[in-house]
Amino acid sequence: MTSAAVRATARRLSGPPGAAAPGDTAAPSDSDPPAPRPAPADVEARVPAIGRRLAAGMGTHHDPRAAIEARMMDRIASRDDLRAALFRLVDVRPACHSYTDIAAHLAALLDEVDTPAAPFGLARSLAGRGAAWQTVVGVASAAGVRAMAGRFIVGSGAADALPAVRRLWRDGVATSVDLLGEATVSEAEADAYAERCVEVLQTLSVGMAAWAPNALLEQDPHGQVARVNLSVKVSALTPHLRADAPQRGAAGAAPRLRAILRTARELGAHVHVDMESLDSREAVRDLTLSVLAEDEFAAGPSAGIVHQAYLTDAGEELDLLLDWARRTPRAHPLAIRLVKGAYWDHEVVEAEQNGWTVPVHTDRRACDRAFEALTDRLLDHADVVRPLIASHNLRSVAHAIAGQQARGLPVDAVEYQVLRGLGDPLGHALAREGLRVRTYCPIGDLVAGMAYLVRRLLENTANDSFLRAHASGTDLDRLLEAP
Amino acid sequence: MTDTAPFRNEPLLELRRPQPRADLVAALAALDARLPLRAPVVIDGRAGTELPLRSVDPSRPDRVVALSGDASVDDADAAVAAARRAFADWSSRDAEDRAAVLIRAADQLRARRHELTALLLRETAKPWPEADADVCEAIDFLEYYARAAVALAGPRELVHVAGERNVMTYAARGVCAVIAPWNFALAIPAGMIAAALVTGNTVVLKPADQAPACAAALYDALQAAGLPAGALHVLPGGDEPAKALVAHPHVHTIAFTGSSAAGRDILRRAADVVPGQHHLKRVVCEMGGKNIVIVDSDADIDDVVPALLHSAFAFAGQKCSAAARVLVHADLYDELATRLAGAVATLQVSGAETFGVDVPPVIDAESVARVARYAEMARADGTVLAEATLPDGDDAVATPGFFAPPLLVADLPADCPILHEEIFGPLLSIEPVASIDAACDIVDASPFALTGGLFSRNPAVVAHVAARTPVGSLYVNREITGARVGRHPFGGNRLSGGGTKAGGPDYLLAFVEGRVVVENTVRHGMVV
Repeated sequence: MTSAAVRATARRLSGPPGAAAPGDTAAPSDSDPPAPRPAPADVEARVPAIGRRLAAGMGTHHDPRAAIEARMMDRIASRDDLRAALFRLVDVRPACHSYTDIAAHLAALLDEVDTPAAPFGLARSLAGRGAAWQTVVGVASAAGVRAMAGRFIVGSGAADALPAVRRLWRDGVATSVDLLGEATVSEAEADAYAERCVEVLQTLSVGMAAWAPNALLEQDPHGQVARVNLSVKVSALTPHLRADAPQRGAAGAAPRLRAILRTARELGAHVHVDMESLDSREAVRDLTLSVLAEDEFAAGPSAGIVHQAYLTDAGEELDLLLDWARRTPRAHPLAIRLVKGAYWDHEVVEAEQNGWTVPVHTDRRACDRAFEALTDRLLDHADVVRPLIASHNLRSVAHAIAGQQARGLPVDAVEYQVLRGLGDPLGHALAREGLRVRTYCPIGDLVAGMAYLVRRLLENTANDSFLRAHASGTDLDRLLEAP
Repeated sequence: MTDTAPFRNEPLLELRRPQPRADLVAALAALDARLPLRAPVVIDGRAGTELPLRSVDPSRPDRVVALSGDASVDDADAAVAAARRAFADWSSRDAEDRAAVLIRAADQLRARRHELTALLLRETAKPWPEADADVCEAIDFLEYYARAAVALAGPRELVHVAGERNVMTYAARGVCAVIAPWNFALAIPAGMIAAALVTGNTVVLKPADQAPACAAALYDALQAAGLPAGALHVLPGGDEPAKALVAHPHVHTIAFTGSSAAGRDILRRAADVVPGQHHLKRVVCEMGGKNIVIVDSDADIDDVVPALLHSAFAFAGQKCSAAARVLVHADLYDELATRLAGAVATLQVSGAETFGVDVPPVIDAESVARVARYAEMARADGTVLAEATLPDGDDAVATPGFFAPPLLVADLPADCPILHEEIFGPLLSIEPVASIDAACDIVDASPFALTGGLFSRNPAVVAHVAARTPVGSLYVNREITGARVGRHPFGGNRLSGGGTKAGGPDYLLAFVEGRVVVENTVRHGMVV
């Protein structure tokens, strides 16, 4: 099917009743120039209604365990010392060799907290009362950490992740699977990660083959959208990443990335290269773009990269990606996942320790504004790249949907992405809106997943977290204000 | 000086961005076009004409980096005499004036930082990030001691009672001999010279014979900053001028950084009072180490491996703070040993100018031979778990670089010299221990106490080890090198040094002597 034909058959994104934008009915074709930029006021006028519908669709927590956890999180987040102690417990839990060992760590960590609120004060006093109580506290802490991890991690391997992935598919939500793992410090570990990637692609491909087709999830104006979708980390593909030598890391990872891409091409799967901290951005970007530009991969597979809105130079970086996409015609246009960025604390601390200008926005509103400006640019270039909007911020997402509508882009021209364990209610609300949603699903064991889990917990309890603000009942109008 | 901003570390170059890397490459090309540099003997601002010695690029020893003077005992006498003549004027200046010279010298280094980074890379085979950190540390010492000296110049707080006025001040001691190493060829001499000068002493510098051009660059910066010609003299050359300075009756303070053996020799000689000497010499000494990292069973191996690689192998293990031994809790030993071995095998051994190089050449052929002797011992007495490969020879280069392969060794007998002697090269040993206290016992049994490391996620264990360890600097859950001025005061205890902490709040006290004036203010029974 040509992409023009796909466009012609694509369903239109339904706006709120009576608010259809003028551009909504004009089907673009290959020869059309990119959609004209809509007036910002036109976009802004649509945001409140979209946001309210999404918020209503997200509903409230019916799961009592989730409600308790939300209250607990709120209590933790309001106390920096407690937050630090519990993060450190979550962090060290997989390295503990026994329940008494866990209890000993918990007791030592809580000793650094002034007056731990219940139940943590109780835990501290029990952990100091002999072996039997230590075991009780250890078992409880272990179970707590495991339960928390289970929310974010869908399974230890591809095979046991399939049921969760399938449930999402039935609910009209696609997935991208991410392999959690230990840091890669040797060639053997890099090989093992690449082999796991290949195996996961194969397992998912077999496991998902018989599932019912879903046009919204599997087609967009550019053509086929892969059902099997794997996110990979360059830091796991090579032990040679060095901040001052991007070419060394890229050269180390290239053969393994090629092997994964070849498998994906055979299976019709999508490979998405994750972005990590700024230390590796040049290596990740140069590796991804140079390998994808090789003749071998001109016809496939579908592939993408991540763009981090919190970086103050994100605009220039996007210029580079768009310029590459224009110059490098591939059967599958480059997918660009726009995220806020998950290494904020790392970037700030590293810059402060070395005396550098902080490379990320330190003002939440500036960061949100940047996210929206970058969203606009991606939507403006939906003819050369596939825009993927990955945010849990209702305002940012509503703004993207409004921008999509105002530009008259087809309903399937933009993909919305959420994280398993954090963005599930939003994901389902987006799916109910008839939008393509993909949930980022990490798989791996508890030990391997701890770095990921800690990062997610930090994000969820950060003072400027949208999810936290929403959960604690901040007024919806305020949450939907333009940043 | 009084309105100077509070001290902040000089920002490192952000080498993860392309532009600073390109700037350095350009600076290296410009430097190469000027080689060889000249590093003469300089006494009273007059440069000697004879340049019989040379320093070479350890990455490519057929490249001569500098031609240098070879100072004699007579030169040492002349330099001390000149420094002595200049002492009255320099020591009587306001602390603010002397501090201002240091601040201006820091500006000089800042203005030339790319060139100096390139020079460190060429003369000592220091890779870019480490060479940049060396320049920044030199700047930091100048800025930090300038502020500290002004703070020290005010009167100390004493107990006061009616009828007496009590004042305690700190005065310069006299001529200070600075004997510098090659491994931080800018930062360490800058720190020792700056501390001595800013407190009012005059200085005779004996730089390392491997790095005379770095010392000459430091001299130039201080001259350009307005330091009087008599306040600093430079004696490049071999051991002779250093020995002459140590024994000289008119040298008051000896600031030394180098090997343990050399340091003890200096202490012994400095203890003798020779004819014409009217004071006791003070020795500020920083010596070697045998630095041990303890890894507890709850450590995160993902963090431990990169930190160990950097601590043991960066700059080919030629930092006094470098990791030499790892003691791992038995529960974690097999996994860590396996992963660390896999990581050591990936280390890139290459010339210093290669961005991202993990292990550059060692400083000279003598070092290659020394490291090779220990490597032989490792093969004979233990199990070599990993060894990184050396770079392929370049046919266009007649003399290969001074490369020594990084090596990880296990299963050594407890009395093996590898476990007890400072190797100063890319060799790391790993041993299992039954408990953290067993590891602490091993640390405690060592005569050295410079740096140490601990990986543990239990605050109680961290507190316990911190209380037990004798080392000058214990680094917890991070690499054990890379001390920053003002943040991580640095200096060894036990046989690793006199215990002074460079870049710390009390370092300058080693370069001054206290003077107290007690004045009776009662006259005819009245307090006047």
